[in-house]
Amino acid sequence: MNNSIVVVVAASGVLYGTPLLFAALGELLAERSGVLNLGVEGMMLVGAVMGFWVVQRFHAATPAVLGAAILVAALAGSVMALIHAFLVVTLRANQIVSGLALTIFAGAAGLSSYLGNDLNLADKPARHAFNPLNLFGLEKLPVIGPIVFGQPLLVYVSWACVLLVGLYLARTRPGLNVRAVGESPAAADAMGINVARYRYAHTIAGGAFAGVGGACFSLSITPQWVDGLTSGAGWIAIALVIFAFWRPELCLVGAYFFGAFAALPYTLQARGVTIAPELFQSLPYVATIVVLVLVSTGWTKRRLGAPASLGVPYAREEL
Amino acid sequence: MQQATSTSPAVRLRGITKRFPGVTANDGVDFEAAEGEVHALLGENGAGKTTLSNILTGLYRPDEGEIELYGKPVQFNSPRDALDAGVSMVHQHFRLVRAFTVAENVVLGDHRGEARRFRLRPRAIERRVAELGKEYGLRVAPRAKIWQLSLGEQQRVEILKALYRDSRVLILDEPTAVLTPQEAERLFRTLRAMVEEGRTIIFISHKLHEVKAVADRVTVLRAGRSIGTVSASESTPQSLAALMVGRELGTGATAKSEPRDEAVLEVQDLWTHGDRGEDAVKGVAFTVRAGEILAVAGVAGNGQRELAETITGMRPFARGGMSLNGRELRGGDPRRAIRAGIAHVPEDRLGTGVAPNLTVASNVVLKSYRSREMSRGPLLRGRSIRRRAEELIHRYEVRPPIATTPARQLSGGNLQKVVLAREFSGDPKVLVAASPTRGLDVAAIEAVHGHLRDAAARGMAILLISEDLEEILTLADRVAVIYEGAIVGEVDPKGATVNEIGLLMAGGGRS
Amino acid sequence: MIRFERRLQQPWWLAVAVPVGSILVALAFAAIVLAATGHDPLHAYRRIFDSAFLAKGALTQTIMSATPLCFTGLAAAVAFRMQLFNIGAEGQLYFGAIAAAASGLYFHSLPKPLVIVAMIAAGCAGGAAWALIPAILKAFFRTNEIITSLMLNYVAALVLNYLIFDSLSYWRDTSTPETKVFPQGKTLADSATWPTTTLVHSGPGLVVPLGFGIAILVALLAWFLYSRTRFGFEAQVLGDSQQAARYAGIRTRRKILAVMCLSGAIAGLGGASQDGDFRHLLDPRGLQQAGYGYAGIVVAALARYNPFGVVLIAFLLGGLQNAGYTLQGADFPSGLVGVIQGLILFCALGGELLGRYRIRIARRPAPAVEPSA
Repeated sequence: MNNSIVVVVAASGVLYGTPLLFAALGELLAERSGVLNLGVEGMMLVGAVMGFWVVQRFHAATPAVLGAAILVAALAGSVMALIHAFLVVTLRANQIVSGLALTIFAGAAGLSSYLGNDLNLADKPARHAFNPLNLFGLEKLPVIGPIVFGQPLLVYVSWACVLLVGLYLARTRPGLNVRAVGESPAAADAMGINVARYRYAHTIAGGAFAGVGGACFSLSITPQWVDGLTSGAGWIAIALVIFAFWRPELCLVGAYFFGAFAALPYTLQARGVTIAPELFQSLPYVATIVVLVLVSTGWTKRRLGAPASLGVPYAREEL
Repeated sequence: MQQATSTSPAVRLRGITKRFPGVTANDGVDFEAAEGEVHALLGENGAGKTTLSNILTGLYRPDEGEIELYGKPVQFNSPRDALDAGVSMVHQHFRLVRAFTVAENVVLGDHRGEARRFRLRPRAIERRVAELGKEYGLRVAPRAKIWQLSLGEQQRVEILKALYRDSRVLILDEPTAVLTPQEAERLFRTLRAMVEEGRTIIFISHKLHEVKAVADRVTVLRAGRSIGTVSASESTPQSLAALMVGRELGTGATAKSEPRDEAVLEVQDLWTHGDRGEDAVKGVAFTVRAGEILAVAGVAGNGQRELAETITGMRPFARGGMSLNGRELRGGDPRRAIRAGIAHVPEDRLGTGVAPNLTVASNVVLKSYRSREMSRGPLLRGRSIRRRAEELIHRYEVRPPIATTPARQLSGGNLQKVVLAREFSGDPKVLVAASPTRGLDVAAIEAVHGHLRDAAARGMAILLISEDLEEILTLADRVAVIYEGAIVGEVDPKGATVNEIGLLMAGGGRS
Repeated sequence: MIRFERRLQQPWWLAVAVPVGSILVALAFAAIVLAATGHDPLHAYRRIFDSAFLAKGALTQTIMSATPLCFTGLAAAVAFRMQLFNIGAEGQLYFGAIAAAASGLYFHSLPKPLVIVAMIAAGCAGGAAWALIPAILKAFFRTNEIITSLMLNYVAALVLNYLIFDSLSYWRDTSTPETKVFPQGKTLADSATWPTTTLVHSGPGLVVPLGFGIAILVALLAWFLYSRTRFGFEAQVLGDSQQAARYAGIRTRRKILAVMCLSGAIAGLGGASQDGDFRHLLDPRGLQQAGYGYAGIVVAALARYNPFGVVLIAFLLGGLQNAGYTLQGADFPSGLVGVIQGLILFCALGGELLGRYRIRIARRPAPAVEPSA
């Protein structure tokens, strides 16, 4: 039963969806504060390569090394995000161009490749990796066993993150403040909230999440380093935030949905069914466009729309 | 909040100077407001009132000068410092998060006592907001979202924000602009109640009669300087006006033109949807004759914008019809409306009326670039455009008289001259003017009024949409009052009083 | 602490100083990266400069690399000028390449000039058609074109892959058994190969492909369109304020459709030039690896959306890319080209600020929202 195609696809959907989920949560935080960061792909790749560097370079017990690798990946991602934050918050640069610049700077033909090459990481298997667990020994349970209990640790961490981010935004004062900053920075500013500080903090936090998302690839899904390892996951993550109406819990659903699309063709191929993989791979993009059209028309606009000041720089003393 | 002493004023500003690139908004301003008084800050648009209050609330930092609260010097590095010191402000354009509830807006940014906790407790806040509302007669549902509220209710939320924070000093910037005369009356009562508790209200306005009605003392600002402080009860509107403008005002030549009989613009049973799909204009009907100024009076947000946009083709209509000189007008097509001879002075001057980053020359031909004089086939005639621009700049006395200046660098008055120059140059039959003098100084207002009267004298039919009753009473031949998208009454400006019209504006004319 | 004051007038020299300064500062930053990782920056730069402009055939190679950047840069510039953020030049270029390859294969028996015209027309049409999707969504549903055009880049890449790797399409070469195992596109006939002109015979030599000539022509036309015509005037108004454009009776929907299609057509032309000038077959991997569409945005932004600036910047960045390809190998740090490109763009974005604001160093701490950097 656990070998049935539905279970296998669902289980791998969760696995492949996890990096998307991390990156999307990060992008969601940044966008809720009003900063659009199109550099997710670049931040993920730098996170992936730096996380991988840690597991290759340091010799210690596996849990310690992996923990350090995740931290370093998060740090690397946030350093990349800091560049973006400086440009768009302090220098009020165009957020689109800056985000694209970040992708070019850090991406598959940029810093991540430079680091991978210079640190001599390419095409070697990881010394340590996150392996699938058998949580509470329940992995053999029918249907939910492999989906829920047989995943690597990062999957469970991502669930905790969804919960934390959701509670943070809905139930805490900083969460209320950051939503205000994204909706109306002028109102937030007048009430004594430091707009720039909030935007910096959440953009950087977003980078950290993206870095961890990248590390999911190099430490868990395909535990190795090659240039352009994430192959467009960062863009899907940006799409996912829209798809999820800027809500963390819907990011989870969307991520697994998109993850399953990515996994489906290979599962089918393994069973001798050949359908062009491009068909499934394009679904996340097409679905996002459809959702975007729905969001921008009709009744959904007001209730589910983007943060009202997304992508708009804020400056107080303009005359 | 430190203990107030009776000797030192609640607020004292000394020698405040604030420069922006190209302008000195405040130039050595002195100001004092005592505890328990309503102190009006009177001045024309552009006199520096808003800049001064932004300095007092920590939004701007002064280049020079000192601020004292209750005798103690303070330095505000951010709005948070000002709020903590007990200074709040109700901005002219409300600083509310539209997607949030009333309670969420009230509690935003609060960080004292209980509010220092990380967790948000919405119920407790909602209770407190409801209590405050009851106490001060500022009723709003704490759980309502801001976008669901009328402008008057939104203003109450802004005042509740100040009360929730226990502010001792409250600044209100042009608070009556969004209110009917009756609502304004109610606001004044709330303000008096707050003053009686020992709070200080700084009331910013350029309207003389309301300053006289609400304030204890008045400080007049002119061109960034403080001219003097007078007692409200001892001054007259005339003396205040003289202080504000720096000269005696003319009585406003009211030589009105003789309307002719021919109906130019006829509107029948017009229905239009607003931005959210609701009915914004509901069965409006009227006729404007040649040489006549018909004013539509009403509180902002009662369908005026939608009405103006519908007539000028910027918004399609759902039902009804319009005709110009007997010829049917199709809705939703600005180009047809322009060709039919409908000129439009839009409410939003910078952004709709002109393209802000384009030159004055480009903006002058914004509607005529398609004509044979300005273009040859798909190509523009650069020289003709420049010549037309220079001619109009000269005729309308636009400053600076340079055709290549980007429009956004012009002052409001000069911007409006560019708009009028362009609109009149098309030789229109109808002019729809929406709040044509909002935010202008007295000289510019007089100029705009003069242009409108001249146009009417030339036989143009003018639909004046305005929230300013004084303007309506000086210009209009007839006044129609709009309330919630419908015309609720028509009055003759010669016989009508402000109160009568105000009652209609509040929907009181409806049976 | 730093404070910004809005400038009332932009000094003319900034238009030149910003891009030049950006490149210099970016090179300085990249030198730090190089030095920190144990490379000699001067040596690396000398090699880049050498293989970009001086070595035998280098200039020709640089022009080759610059050509697609010209097209995508112009595509971005014409749209961005109108505040239409079409970042779909990547996908539009793919579709231009697909359409041009199809017409090149189909009309191979016609005389060469006709085949070339057919390829150019098909390339434009392909790119414009793909741009029409975000254009329609933007014009009729007000859907944000940034995200839709971005998403469509990935869909276009997948279509490209499908045509060559996962189907037996018209474009795929199925003539030999090897091509079944290693799929690739059908090679275009000689009649579909675009001509070149040799400008300099001696020394390093300079051979200019037809595509580059077309790109310069497009730049001229774009400049003329925006500065001398009603179309350009309307685009300027619309780019500055949608409301003002509607108010002035400009047909905003039509304009959005037209400008997006123009932008897409220029990108598609770049795809046609890839087929005709350089690759001579539909090459999904090569096109995707190059990332011309995204680099085009860098080019356009650096050139401040000026068509002639685009050509100049494309030439410089083309040199950089060319050097990147030539020097690929064990002793040259891979990824350096992307790092330098990204840095240049960061610096240009920062430098843009100099145009808009005057920077003041204030005595007192700046207000909270002002930078605390």
